[in-house]
Amino acid sequence: MSFELNKRLAAKRAPLSTPATIDPVTASIIRGAFETVCFEANTHLGRAASSAIINQSNERNAAIVDANGRLAACSIGTPHLTFVSQLTVRYGLENLKDFDWGPGDVFVGNDPDFGGGHLPDYNVYGPIYDDSGKLVLIAALQAHQGDTGGKDPGGFTLEATDIFTEGLAIPCVKLVHRGEKRRDIIRLIERNNRFPSFAGDLAAMISAVQLADRQLKAILRKWGTDAVNAAINYNIEHTEQRFRQEVTKWPDGSYAADVFIDHDTQGTKDVKVHVTCTVKGDQLTVDLTGTDDRQELVGVWNTFANSRGYVMTQIAAAIDPSIVKNEGLFNGIEIIIPEGCIAHPPINKPAALGSFHPACEITEAVCVALSAVVPGRSAPQVYKIGMPNAVIGFRDGQMWLDQGVDARSMDVSAVQGIDGWGSCPAALGNLLLSEVEDAESRVPIINISREMTKDSGGAGQWRGQPGSLNVKRVLEPTTAMAWMVSSDHPIRGMCGGDDGSSYSNHFEVGTEREYKVELSAHAQLPAGAVIAYQHGGGAGFGSALARDPEAVKEDVLDEKVGVEAARSKYGVVLTGTLENYDLAVDAAATAALRKSMIANQPAKAA
Amino acid sequence: MGYRVGIDIGGTFTDFALLKGADVVLHKNLSTPEDRSIGVMNGLEKLAKIEGLPVADFLGKCDAIVHGTTIADNTLIEMNGALTGLITTEGFRDEVEYRRGFKEDIWDLRLPPPLEITPRRRRLTVPERVLADGTIYKELDEAAVRAACARLRKQKVESVAISLLFSFVNPVHEKRVARIVAEEMPDAHISCSYQVLPRAPEYDRTSTTVVNAYVGPRVTSYLEKLVSRLKEGGYKNQLMVMQASGGVMTKEYIDGAPIRVLASGPAGGVVGSAHVGVEKGYPNLLCVDMGGTSYDMSVVHNGAAPAEAGWNMHHRYLIGVPMVKVETLGAGGGSICHVNNGALEVGPASAGATPGPICYGRGGMKPTTTDALLMLGILSAQSEFAGGSFSLRKDGVEEAFQEIGRQMGYSAEDAAFDCWRVVNANMSQAVRRTTAGKGIDPKDMVMLAYGGNGPVFAAIQAEDLGITKVLVPKASPAFSALGTLVAMPSIDEERSYIASADALDIAKLTSHWKELGDRAEKFFAEANFSRDKVSAKYQLNMRYRGQNFALTFDIDGSKHLGDLSFINAGIGMRAIEAFNKRHMEEYGHIREGEIPEVTGVRLVTTVTTPTPKVLKGLTAPVTKATATKKRRANLGAGFKDTDIFHGASLKPGHEVTGPAIIEETFTTIVVYPGWKARIDDAGDYELTRAAA
Repeated sequence: MSFELNKRLAAKRAPLSTPATIDPVTASIIRGAFETVCFEANTHLGRAASSAIINQSNERNAAIVDANGRLAACSIGTPHLTFVSQLTVRYGLENLKDFDWGPGDVFVGNDPDFGGGHLPDYNVYGPIYDDSGKLVLIAALQAHQGDTGGKDPGGFTLEATDIFTEGLAIPCVKLVHRGEKRRDIIRLIERNNRFPSFAGDLAAMISAVQLADRQLKAILRKWGTDAVNAAINYNIEHTEQRFRQEVTKWPDGSYAADVFIDHDTQGTKDVKVHVTCTVKGDQLTVDLTGTDDRQELVGVWNTFANSRGYVMTQIAAAIDPSIVKNEGLFNGIEIIIPEGCIAHPPINKPAALGSFHPACEITEAVCVALSAVVPGRSAPQVYKIGMPNAVIGFRDGQMWLDQGVDARSMDVSAVQGIDGWGSCPAALGNLLLSEVEDAESRVPIINISREMTKDSGGAGQWRGQPGSLNVKRVLEPTTAMAWMVSSDHPIRGMCGGDDGSSYSNHFEVGTEREYKVELSAHAQLPAGAVIAYQHGGGAGFGSALARDPEAVKEDVLDEKVGVEAARSKYGVVLTGTLENYDLAVDAAATAALRKSMIANQPAKAA
Repeated sequence: MGYRVGIDIGGTFTDFALLKGADVVLHKNLSTPEDRSIGVMNGLEKLAKIEGLPVADFLGKCDAIVHGTTIADNTLIEMNGALTGLITTEGFRDEVEYRRGFKEDIWDLRLPPPLEITPRRRRLTVPERVLADGTIYKELDEAAVRAACARLRKQKVESVAISLLFSFVNPVHEKRVARIVAEEMPDAHISCSYQVLPRAPEYDRTSTTVVNAYVGPRVTSYLEKLVSRLKEGGYKNQLMVMQASGGVMTKEYIDGAPIRVLASGPAGGVVGSAHVGVEKGYPNLLCVDMGGTSYDMSVVHNGAAPAEAGWNMHHRYLIGVPMVKVETLGAGGGSICHVNNGALEVGPASAGATPGPICYGRGGMKPTTTDALLMLGILSAQSEFAGGSFSLRKDGVEEAFQEIGRQMGYSAEDAAFDCWRVVNANMSQAVRRTTAGKGIDPKDMVMLAYGGNGPVFAAIQAEDLGITKVLVPKASPAFSALGTLVAMPSIDEERSYIASADALDIAKLTSHWKELGDRAEKFFAEANFSRDKVSAKYQLNMRYRGQNFALTFDIDGSKHLGDLSFINAGIGMRAIEAFNKRHMEEYGHIREGEIPEVTGVRLVTTVTTPTPKVLKGLTAPVTKATATKKRRANLGAGFKDTDIFHGASLKPGHEVTGPAIIEETFTTIVVYPGWKARIDDAGDYELTRAAA
């Protein structure tokens, strides 16, 4: 049932039927107007919402879908949401008569088996009708909610074996009927959420959709439905064309990659994602055949819609960034995801943790495979963290959550010509990471440190950004949840660059009870307990022995690389001392050392 | 009554506006980049000559000299500020480099990093910790501070930023660090975060303090030089300096946080617009300024230019002090038209002033917006351009658009017309983004257009946005200098205070507002403004619990400085009511039954100083103006013989019906079909859309 539905939802959609023709300039003017609506709706949501995960972490996205269910425009939320949003809407569209769609309606859907990503990603959307009563567009906003009403606060249950453990699953339900809020339904959904700020988030999502509704109606009046539809057709076709032009430049061939997750949540080791990217002329096929399909795996099931979107996240990074993101990307690529594998689970599988892994390993595998094809745009757009340490407590019967999306550095890989910089990959550059002075004013926690760790960035001709060690103390007894991966299999280096460094996580640090979280934790922490999460550094690009020795010296001055690692990883010999800021490259010694290291490399590999 | 002089230093010209009584004299001379104070003195000499006075007498008669400077902006653009170090709390060395995860383009993984003002080697940490409630969790390790100073000294650091966690709640450690730095590095400029931006969160505060440390020494030494030149010249009063918030204040005040002058240039124009709008009876304005390289947009709401502190990535650094909101789009007369993979694009690349557009005849080879306007007949090679300093040339323009037309599959004129459409669409979208999330409907606003190219396009965006009236002031080319005269001396500061609105601590509110009031009183007194001249707006920042963005509003309207009688038991209820009203305006909903929280207390203090009179309305009889000639031009509805008017010969009461083109000295005003223009008593243009 689920497989058939997925096939139907993902099927390629026809262009809109319209008698109008459109010139390229008008089409791009209408596209700009759409993008502005998305931007405004997203801004509105970010400013009005109550939860840090929406108004700081910015895990939100606005999109416009056309009457055939195609992505017509999107705003810069996060690509990981942008490329998932259409399928939930398509499910509603399929049933629009049954569900009594009409002007002024607003719906919500989050069901992983009905086009969704995972339960926390609520997709709130509203159909837009023109003045003649014709359905033309759907404005859709997605945002990650702090709770979903399942077994565990926050929505992530390590041992979940079905979706019902994780919370309230909504295929499609109406929140607003012809402009009137359905208070009974809204109360029901609010009731199924532990988070006191959820009501504010839902209200903000609804008012943002209503804002988009008003603005899109104005656009339809200005240009006319036929012209708008013609513009959508043009823009989608133009994107597909430009995408195919990019693919044509790539050498024909098959490029495969394996990426492993350390283990599922119960300890079954080395869960595999296998990707084969095939380039033939202007056609790109991404095939996940060969990906793990052991049905007994727990927690590592990524929904079909998500897998498709996470493939696209890396594809979008691999092409000219000026190509407009819309349905044309999906039209230009064939994505094959075998039924029953961890990237296309059977119905009722749990979905929450799958959005971390294997979702990100799918993205990473696409990157590794394409690194042979587009080395200049190959850096994985992922988060390799198992899950952030969720610290949860209750005050006056109300839940509080320190979601752990703190200011930190992780997974910022180098790309050809540019060292990893900042604190996350480009695709996540819309996040506003949580700050100490906000967090400590809200939750009983003291942050002790979040600095980068020397030598944790993958070495390479271009260096990965070091990962950070985030240390915090809880001031009240709390529950802390963790799932550890990316220790055995850290983020992959590109084109001869070193892998990034491993993640590790310690609870009750500095006491005799201190322990390393090897697999997962669902721990009760006493007041005063310290937890320390070592985030993985980004990976390197190209051979470390080809790095400019002066750049290595600068890294040593900045204490991103130690003197010893400069020698052992980069083959760079320095004179002087860090303390006196008089480091200099010993050119002759460096050349000699590098020569001997290169000579020894094959032996090392063997 | 003495003189008041407004001075605005731009890249090429230094503009002067002299106010005597209600009259204004404008003057322009070349800037002197090697030492900008020379250009200022040159202009002042010229003004003295115009007034028939020796310079010393003229300066002696000046009540105020008000100055807008781009020195901080230039320092950031050229990245040639002071060698800067940062001292911060142990464990938090890398916050400025993390940027809270922010990257400007999520689709481009090849985006290069911003240049670092404080690379990691110059970011040092010291053991200490203050908690959210101000209690000391860990004592300051003073030896570590001295060790950090030694390391910074070895690196020849000239300017030190100090930013410790929760220093805005309790600055005791930060003050102590500053004293030690002053001992250990006596020549270093010191910037403390609790003074530069006393509010959460740490990234905003630290980033702002770091930029302050970087630009501070240059701003301070420049202002010192200017002050001493003015003093030598005979000026006896305080030099007033334009701030990005839209107010002016003394050099002494600016010295405390030189970053306040960053982005103050465009603020002058917006403040000038607000003044003109209010005087003419249009308190809600959409101001558009289009010059050679950029299109600046801002909003005047209820007669004020809103200044907001917040996420403002000026030059890729976050600046948290209040700045008049000015959005910039890379669309100007020099923006280059090109075809990118089948799509016609204009900008953001610009031909600048040199070589400039092809039609400038200075070697430009790439077609620009100005060239498209020439193709369309909106500009002409037969007319004077830029005040008659040179004429435009058609050579090579047509060929360039033929090439674009070839790629797009149509004629050169079609290509130029489409470039014009693309520019218009880009600007309309940008304007919409300017008003996004502010609860403002552009339809309710009047557009005010200035800058050389603003009035060419203004009515088109107006029409797109449903705006039916456009103002084009005759003095628009020197608007920023005029703006510095209009700007009032003001101080706009806040203190962080987080509490539920139903449990406000009256004593804490009082002490915060009193401290802000005392500071304002001190600085105004130094500028010779007594307390009774200072008006005060007491404001609160509030939000629903969990929200990340606060809304700011006045609590109880304007007061005399120091009148704290409004702080009483009812203040919480009044605040909740006012907040809910704002939230409804802004977001279209409120949360019944939820108690919002206060996040900060603010005080805006202002002194009213004399400003230029603006004439409003029209008393002269309306008569049809006579066209001086006709020209083939395309104003959006195909090429037609179009009436051309000579701006200098138009008088109050004259009316021009579109389609028509008015050629002014420094600008061109296009009256599109369906629009008409009238000259009001002030000589300003008022364009209106005929009712449909």
